[in-house]
Amino acid sequence: MFTVALVVLTLGAVFSFKFRPLGLVGAVVALLLGLYACSSFHYGVFIFAIGLVNLLSLGALDSRIKGVDYGLVGLMALVTMYIFNTSDFALVLAALVLVSVPTYILVMLRDVEGNGEGKGEGVRKGEGVRKGEGVRGEGGANVEVGIKYITFMVLATVLFLIGAVILAYTKSAFDGFLYVLGYVLLVLGLCIEVGVAPMHEWVPDVFAAADPIPISIIASLAKIVPFVAALFILIYTACPLTASVSIFTAVLAAVSMFTGNIGALTSKEPARVLGYSTVANMGYVLACLVVAAKPEFFYFALTGGLILLFANAAGKIGFFNAIKGGGAYSPLVYLLAFSFIGVPPLMGFWGKLFILLSLAEMQYYWLIGVLVVNSAISIPYYIRLAGELGSATGWETNLTNIVCVAVVVLTFVTVFFVPVEWFFANMQAVAETIGIGAGVVGVGVGVSEGVVVGGGGI
Amino acid sequence: MDTLSNLLFLCLLLPLVVAFVAPLFSPKRATYLSFLAFILPFFAIIYSVFKVAPFEIPLTTFSPPIGEFYLHFDFISYAFGLTICIVSAMIALFALPYMKHRFEEMGREVESEFRKYIFLYDLYAASMLWLVFSGNFVLLYVFLEITLITAFLLIYTYGYGNRKWVGMLYLIWCAVAGVLTLAGIVLVAFENDTLALNVLMAGGKVSTLAWAFIFAGMIIELPVLGPHIWLPWAHAEAPTPVSALLSPLTVGLAGYVLLRTALIDYSFIETYRIPILAYAIFSSIYGGFSVFKQTDFKRLLAYSTVSQMGYILVALCLGPFGLIGLVIQYMSHAFGKSILFSSAGGIIAVHHGLRDINKMGGLHDSIPAISNAAVLGFLNLGGMLTVGMLGEFFILRGVVETFGVTKSSLGIILAVIFMFILSVWYGFYTIRKVFYGKPRSTKRLEISRYLYVPLYIIGIVSVLLLFPPLSTVLIQGLNLISGLGLGGLGVGGVGVGGVGGVVP
Repeated sequence: MFTVALVVLTLGAVFSFKFRPLGLVGAVVALLLGLYACSSFHYGVFIFAIGLVNLLSLGALDSRIKGVDYGLVGLMALVTMYIFNTSDFALVLAALVLVSVPTYILVMLRDVEGNGEGKGEGVRKGEGVRKGEGVRGEGGANVEVGIKYITFMVLATVLFLIGAVILAYTKSAFDGFLYVLGYVLLVLGLCIEVGVAPMHEWVPDVFAAADPIPISIIASLAKIVPFVAALFILIYTACPLTASVSIFTAVLAAVSMFTGNIGALTSKEPARVLGYSTVANMGYVLACLVVAAKPEFFYFALTGGLILLFANAAGKIGFFNAIKGGGAYSPLVYLLAFSFIGVPPLMGFWGKLFILLSLAEMQYYWLIGVLVVNSAISIPYYIRLAGELGSATGWETNLTNIVCVAVVVLTFVTVFFVPVEWFFANMQAVAETIGIGAGVVGVGVGVSEGVVVGGGGI
Repeated sequence: MDTLSNLLFLCLLLPLVVAFVAPLFSPKRATYLSFLAFILPFFAIIYSVFKVAPFEIPLTTFSPPIGEFYLHFDFISYAFGLTICIVSAMIALFALPYMKHRFEEMGREVESEFRKYIFLYDLYAASMLWLVFSGNFVLLYVFLEITLITAFLLIYTYGYGNRKWVGMLYLIWCAVAGVLTLAGIVLVAFENDTLALNVLMAGGKVSTLAWAFIFAGMIIELPVLGPHIWLPWAHAEAPTPVSALLSPLTVGLAGYVLLRTALIDYSFIETYRIPILAYAIFSSIYGGFSVFKQTDFKRLLAYSTVSQMGYILVALCLGPFGLIGLVIQYMSHAFGKSILFSSAGGIIAVHHGLRDINKMGGLHDSIPAISNAAVLGFLNLGGMLTVGMLGEFFILRGVVETFGVTKSSLGIILAVIFMFILSVWYGFYTIRKVFYGKPRSTKRLEISRYLYVPLYIIGIVSVLLLFPPLSTVLIQGLNLISGLGLGGLGVGGVGVGGVGGVVP
């Protein structure tokens, strides 16, 4: 089914040269097919929603390759769905590359000169920098930004792949030194890829200089696969040494939280603040990787990490679209800010809760403290951001506001609690199918089934 | 029982629904609707106090370690719930002329602003109500944070002075409190594999680390001396109807969370009883003396809150009697402080923003209705002729039961008594300074009935609660939960049978 989806996607992209909307149609159909084929419906439906909003937001970008860009985003979403369908090591790595490569092209996109005039009218801070960069671009592309981004991404992918291969080797012929080397390389690769401090150098610069729409995709959809891939690989190759080396990940996570939040607190330009917010959020998610030392609690980390990634995706899409559109309806951006802060029952809260639970299971109490402190210090800049990006003119029916409504609906999915439970129960089942957490699977799945039945009764 | 439990559930649902419906109506109708949304649950709860044995309503079930989400209807929830309902209902009425006046003062369009305001107000009060009926720590935390955000938005949008800065100050301090508590809750989840209160109360454990997190968070929210920095700002600069919920109801909910945690596992308090008690008494006395230094009436009341919240923390340390004292102290403080903040609001509305005590004096001559209401308020704080008297009785009884009457315990007893006297002292001081003395004008001013009738109703409830049958039934019910007559809490969570295993 995924093959059919890929064919539809390709055809859509090809024919979009003749008739542009075909690219969008092809991508949406492919996503629907992908959702049908995705082994975890609960996970698939979130990716479907995020992918769809990403596609929708592309309408605000009048790029030179309009039509094909739908295909690229469609491919990313499709691969993100596929990651749950495979336990093949090579395919997991291929998925990582496939999600990464389309962003190389996307990051360079910007409005074709002349056509884009006036679109960003009213955009506040950051306008100057973006346009300034744009002028240097050639042929409707942000080449300079692209080169910076691609350099980092290639380095990240190479480190990740080497690390993964070394780890896989230690699985069959264990060697302590090689394991630590593989672990460190893989985590470093992941850090550069998603922008965890201190390897976050590219994030604020690229976020501030590139067009907000492609960045909203890079900050949302592109973050999911690297984490899932890293988590799967680390769990699969876990050994007695993992508990000791996981301190490395924990320290990086803590550094990233502080760097991101302090950076965001001291930045003014909205896009740069969002860049640092990504660094902080990736720190929270990275904290999940310490669970590799106790694979039986894998599903806690998976639930927490994924929900936080979804919340981060929804928030980033909303905020970047608000930057592009010169502000969005005020209550919507405030709600997104509250989700980022972790106000229950919005989605961001559940992500943090499950990450905290997984850290408690791991007895990483100091990291719980760091996460808690960071959650608190992030409040001022999210509120400030919401104040700056909230439009004073009230509701207007335009693409920016529609995209923001869509992402706010997404963050509201968790309000009635039950979807969180379904997702959690599903992640337990996933943990079982990929053969992880054998020690507690009996308990976990038993409980999850009971809950699903109970939930239906209610 | 089924019909009754359904009725109670619907009554709880009502304020939440009204929060979304009220903005569709004109300010007056929206106000009446909000009033009804809280007064109906109030009567339903009073009825349940007499007629309904504690029970639970299941909502949904989460996998471990979160556990079941349910609503619990026991006497602690009843006591907190009825307080929240009556105060919210009355302040909703009080706010009608006050907020209209405020919107005009801010140069905003009254109708449209009132829609936003009433939505936030109802959601704010409803989330507090749901908090005290939440039977799971996660659910409780959810409502705690909704309370925080709605109060923040109200201060941020309609406050006085540098309202945005004050709003942020409040948000950050209380969010820190919230996340610290969350960290404690997560540890409780890890230790017990559930966060459902009924399971936890039937033998759950709260480790020292988890307790420390929850305690640290809640003393910021309470707040006691040290982390109290945010409180005078938030209480003084919030629009008065919000101050009249924030100080009486919201901050005391930290005491509620501590109480529920103490009922699960009292060991932390037993281990650190003396330092906590000393800190609480010191904080209360410091807050009491700070009252005398204030020149802004609302800031004065805010420091009185610091002092009164010290009572709550003192009560927490004093075993089963103290825990009953805590519940009653919450009620009496809520009644008293809501009346007092509303009196301050009345003065602001009638005397065009007057808050400086030095410019007051003799106000009784111009606004006797508000002046008399304020006396009622201070009677509550001082524990005279109102339910506050019972609160002080149980706290003092707690001191005697815990420490005995010996030479060494005499210091503690005297300190607690001094703490009580201080409240009466600053109460009379304030009344004299604000309402009596040489009047600047003896002309009686016209004031809207909304500005004082609700205060008397709160006052009447506070007096009624002192006398049987309300006081006797309530205290008997609280006895059952706090473990009195069942061996006390010393054994660790004994005596919670009254709540656990009740009929759904």
